[in-house]
Amino acid sequence: MDSQKVDMFIMSNSKYFESHHLPQIREQLLALDDSKWGLIQTLQFQDPTTILIVSLLAGGLGIDRFMIGDTGLGVGKLLTCGGFGIWAIVDWFIIMGAAKDKNIAKLQQVLY
Amino acid sequence: MTRNKLYTFISVLSLLGYAWLGYQTYSEKQNSSIGQVCMFKATTTLPCPSCGSTRSVLAILQGDLSQAFYFNPLGFLLVVGLFILPLWIIRDVVLKKKSFFKFYLLFEKWIVKKPIMISLIAIILLNWGWNVYKDL
Repeated sequence: MDSQKVDMFIMSNSKYFESHHLPQIREQLLALDDSKWGLIQTLQFQDPTTILIVSLLAGGLGIDRFMIGDTGLGVGKLLTCGGFGIWAIVDWFIIMGAAKDKNIAKLQQVLY
Repeated sequence: MTRNKLYTFISVLSLLGYAWLGYQTYSEKQNSSIGQVCMFKATTTLPCPSCGSTRSVLAILQGDLSQAFYFNPLGFLLVVGLFILPLWIIRDVVLKKKSFFKFYLLFEKWIVKKPIMISLIAIILLNWGWNVYKDL
């Protein structure tokens, strides 16, 4: 694919991914066929900052886990009152990474 | 979510659960407790959907089922989970299988079906309303 298009994608979507994944994403996109560009542009990613806000406000109910698609863990978190309050606090720190992991998994699904 | 990550998560959660139950029975005898740990209740003064489940589980362990149901019906689910999940995971780890992981993936697919999801949300909300009404 055109390097200009790839750089545009990286620029507008870099906040959705871990920084160490970006070079790999760039290389994969460069090797990708042009016909997939439309599909990639329409992908909706979860904003890690939004998820963090949800986690801070409603983490005890597991809403953050439901939002990023970890339904099973969300149920677990809801039933145990945020993992006895401890898991809810742990999630404040790891939920952004988890959301970014989900985003890259979504992108990889389209790339292959 | 990989198999090992999930199993670590569930093991830590079960250990926390048992430690919490042990602490509660101990502090009940000593008549001292750190009080409530629920952040939701601490910030809003309203009980959360799973408030009362510790009391419910303790009541079940003492054989008082009706009192347990009154405290929080979710306690029954937690007792079953606390009993089955660690055994299932230990079995999987020892036999190097991933039957629980497969079950978990199936469960995630099953629970996001619309009718099931809506009825479960309704049940949780009803139970929550009851919790607020009881003022646990």
